[in-house]
Amino acid sequence: MLPGSGKETWNAVVNDENHEHLIESNAILLDVLRDQAGTLGVKRGCDMGTCGCCAVLIDGEPRLSCLCLAKEARGTNITTVEGLADGHHLHPIQQCFAEAGGSQCGFCTPGFLIVSAALLDENPEPSRDEIKCAIEGNLCRCTGYQQIVDAVEMAASMKRDGSSPPDATDPKSDPHPLGPDDPSLPPGSSK
Amino acid sequence: MAKGYRQAPGKSGDKKRTDGKRVAGQQDFGVPGSGGSDPHSKLQDLDYVPESVGGWKKQPRGPHVHDRHVTGMTIGKSVPLVDANWKMTGQAQYGDDIRLPGELIGKILRSPHHYALIKSIDTSNAEAMEGVFAIATGQDSVNKFGVLPVTKDEHAMAQDKVRHVGDLVACVCAIDEATAIEAMNAISVEYEVLPSIHDMEDGLKDSEHPIHDRGKYHIGESNVQKRVFQQFGDLDGMERAPYRHEADWETAGLHHGFTEPHAVVAHWDPSGRLTVWSPQQVPHYLHRALSAVLDIPMHQINVHRTFVGGGFGGKSDPFPHEMCAAILARKSGRPVRINFDREEVYWINRGRHPSRIQMGVFADDEGRISGIETDALIDGGAFASFGHVTTYYNGVLHTAPYEIGGFNYTGARVWTNKPASGAMRGHGAVNSRCAVEVGIDAVSEQMKVDPMTFRLANLLPPHSRTITGFRVTSTGMRECLAKVREQSDWDEKFRNLPLGKGIGVGCGFFISGSGLPIHWDPENFPHATVHLQCDMDGGVTVHTGAAEIGQGSDTAVAQAVSEVLALPLDMIRIRSKESDTAPVDLGSYSSRVTFMNCNAAIKAACELRDKVMKAAWEITGYNPDVLVLGDRRIYYKHDPAIGVSWLEAVHKAQADVGSLIASGAYRTPPMGGVHKGAAAGLAPAYSFSAYVAEVDVDVETGFVKITKAWAAHDCGKALNPLAVKGQIIGSCHMGMGQVLSEEMKYGRDGHLMNPDLLDYKIMSVHEMPDVVPIIVESNDPEGPFGAKEAGEGPLLPILPAVCNAIYDAIGIRIDELPVTPDRLHKRIEKHCRKLGINDPLDLPVPRFEAGPLQKKLADRADEHAKRDHLRDIQEDRSSYVNGVLFGFDPDKPMAEQKEGWREAVVPTPKDLADPSKRAARAWGHVERRHRGDD
Repeated sequence: MLPGSGKETWNAVVNDENHEHLIESNAILLDVLRDQAGTLGVKRGCDMGTCGCCAVLIDGEPRLSCLCLAKEARGTNITTVEGLADGHHLHPIQQCFAEAGGSQCGFCTPGFLIVSAALLDENPEPSRDEIKCAIEGNLCRCTGYQQIVDAVEMAASMKRDGSSPPDATDPKSDPHPLGPDDPSLPPGSSK
Repeated sequence: MAKGYRQAPGKSGDKKRTDGKRVAGQQDFGVPGSGGSDPHSKLQDLDYVPESVGGWKKQPRGPHVHDRHVTGMTIGKSVPLVDANWKMTGQAQYGDDIRLPGELIGKILRSPHHYALIKSIDTSNAEAMEGVFAIATGQDSVNKFGVLPVTKDEHAMAQDKVRHVGDLVACVCAIDEATAIEAMNAISVEYEVLPSIHDMEDGLKDSEHPIHDRGKYHIGESNVQKRVFQQFGDLDGMERAPYRHEADWETAGLHHGFTEPHAVVAHWDPSGRLTVWSPQQVPHYLHRALSAVLDIPMHQINVHRTFVGGGFGGKSDPFPHEMCAAILARKSGRPVRINFDREEVYWINRGRHPSRIQMGVFADDEGRISGIETDALIDGGAFASFGHVTTYYNGVLHTAPYEIGGFNYTGARVWTNKPASGAMRGHGAVNSRCAVEVGIDAVSEQMKVDPMTFRLANLLPPHSRTITGFRVTSTGMRECLAKVREQSDWDEKFRNLPLGKGIGVGCGFFISGSGLPIHWDPENFPHATVHLQCDMDGGVTVHTGAAEIGQGSDTAVAQAVSEVLALPLDMIRIRSKESDTAPVDLGSYSSRVTFMNCNAAIKAACELRDKVMKAAWEITGYNPDVLVLGDRRIYYKHDPAIGVSWLEAVHKAQADVGSLIASGAYRTPPMGGVHKGAAAGLAPAYSFSAYVAEVDVDVETGFVKITKAWAAHDCGKALNPLAVKGQIIGSCHMGMGQVLSEEMKYGRDGHLMNPDLLDYKIMSVHEMPDVVPIIVESNDPEGPFGAKEAGEGPLLPILPAVCNAIYDAIGIRIDELPVTPDRLHKRIEKHCRKLGINDPLDLPVPRFEAGPLQKKLADRADEHAKRDHLRDIQEDRSSYVNGVLFGFDPDKPMAEQKEGWREAVVPTPKDLADPSKRAARAWGHVERRHRGDD
């Protein structure tokens, strides 16, 4: 970041939370989000709009925060990857990325999640080509995209069904199963 | 669960059994156990349990030593990565996400010159600036380091000279980034520019200022860093061969293109210990290097591997900026964070070597491969990095999957004034494998044989020894070829497609874990160690040093433990991040993690299992021989109603022996020959793959589009099919990028022209074709549950498959990578001129007419398929020796072999006589110690 010409106040709603920070007048949104708003889920990959890792939703529109002056986003409603889940209920897109192998190293994942979530809001039944067009600005070096497109398709159908991912805090496997009454055992186990 | 969760097993066992069956041991078991013929606890998933231990899973390649540990819990099932939710919610902390209170920002001053002496550095202006806490230069750190102990040639910062644009000169830390940049710019450095070397062939010549000085080991006065010579087999047979294809390949340098730029945080805590957070593939080697550079013992350092945003070999060196952060943190007394911008990532590089490879593939009139001759010159850039190994890999990894009559390899790596090349996915094998496979295609074209048939008729069988002595255990090569042939409709499409459409095949062969650890004495130290710890809660904590870099190593090791102990995956916790708590693991390179780490994990889990089983024995009264581990329950084999829960057994074991811990280690078996360089390329197992690619070539513009690929990879056993498929597709993506668009472009003055993701062209989603991943399981006898690697090998075959498909489409043999439209257009123009054609749309398309050898080779392939199947299932594991097909007798000593059979690692003047061979020129120099002048 280059030295600015002076500090000014900046406010926006980041993930449903009011933020007010003193920023350099030439601050980039990506820097403000990472260094001041604390949303480190927004990733810095290239600083020049080529990789898509820094994508965020500004008033519902996917934007690259590395190409956006913080000033431009003043007073807007910003959603980062941290704002996708509802408590411990993941957004369907998050659940499906995990289950379909849409994420390996995970660094590009926040960007992909953001643009796919925006796509699903707009188009509940996207074709594979429409999905490809939605994620064309994002680079992934691990997956070869195929499983990412699978994941978005899966999430779209999950959203249409209205089913939602389980709460991550639900009890996990019981090391001491109770026996026939144990709900964690498969149906038909008991007599 | 309405009454709240109870952790302790209940005392509900006071009911006596009334069904007349035997009540075992001292206690009786109300919990659980229905006592009937349909006991609820029969939870083993028999679909996943191998036939040899009573399950239903078919074993076409025979039983495996780990079969008796299979419980059907997780192995072979597609499971999401265990750390996926951290990544999904943005809570995974990568290098630049580590923020410590009071942190300072570090910046690195880099060389603007390709090659220059540093006359002086003046830091006084920068030091006087407000907000600047510390500045360091080369004088602050004089110790050398490097990933390979034989070639330590790096310093934290340049000592007396800078060796490439971007080489580190000084570093500074300040209160914020803007101040740090200002301070960096205030440092003035006086240089004396030296003549720089950019072309790798210039590196072969004597130089007034060699880029490095290796003292008495220096090769002449040249910039040759490493040279290799290996001759094996019947070289005369190669010279006589009637079918020959010789090509001169030029392949561009590549960068890994991972999405996360390097970043590091260093902090000396109040007790004087250093913690370094870094996205590292080889935390252990960083640990060693930090200790050497900072002059402190290793126990004073904690290397903390953060989440790694992609590695692919690009984060597998200890890096100078990691040293800088530690030095600055020591000087300033505050935590220091350095994060790279994208351009800096290219300056540190360590990507694929630019190479010039002269490749000859020869076949005799019986359709056997009489030999492969390679002369590979590779451009190492300014530092050694992994180059020593790369120089070997460019040749020695050709010795399979085919049986060859002769092997003649000369390799050399030179230093030039470019960012250093190093290890990248498919390390050293990718470019030369592409050349071999294109040669195989050309030779089979000459002999009028289908390239599939030619390959199938020349494969090494399972349990064989290659010409240079590698021990190949399992191989699924034949099945890979058969599957892609069938699924791609090869027989209908090959040489039958119209102009501009083509189909091609390529094969691959790669190590599954380097047999020789980089630092450690293989006789004494294990390659991988895993500790397990089980406590009151019944869950199992796994301590491992394996570096999770997104490939799923945490998941694989969790699966291995979960499988042996029959526990759900959510009861296994992985702690793999810190060197303080993790036992040593050598890191994520050479595709070693699944093979070695999971083997260690299985051993540890078996030890833990035995302890718990012993406790179950004491409770139930049944010997562990007749007890079965089911899902969270241990029960009597013949009456599953009699049993004990996992938690109860664990508590009993703890009551008996106190803490419940176990550990396991893995080391490779003794293998390989004794000649110089015999250890390079040795591995406990090898992966195999065969791909078919279909392309569209626009003959008027030279634009190539890959339309579909069928990718069959033999990974031994897919522990997690979802992850294996991800690796196959991801490898295809990277390989397709290399073959069509990716290159590090150097301008006329040697300057890197595309250090950014806009001009360094990684395939986007639109270029990526549909890839059909096909998993082949050859059930390796030594792999964990039969598994081998799936991370690097799947990259190799896609390049030659595409090149061969381009030939099928337009009749032009590719010998330059990447095949960008401009390059291919020039080739098409030239080709048209040669044929006297004006319009490229009139180009003739290669057609196939089976020659007399076709039938003979098809028969041999069928015969060998039967031979291979028998070798797969027989108990005798003695090796088939490469060369038997050519009259070599493995039972006779070398002197009594048929005439002309050779084994040499030092060239004779005759071997170097051909002036057109590049790497051979490296052997024209005499090492200083042998010159007699010092």
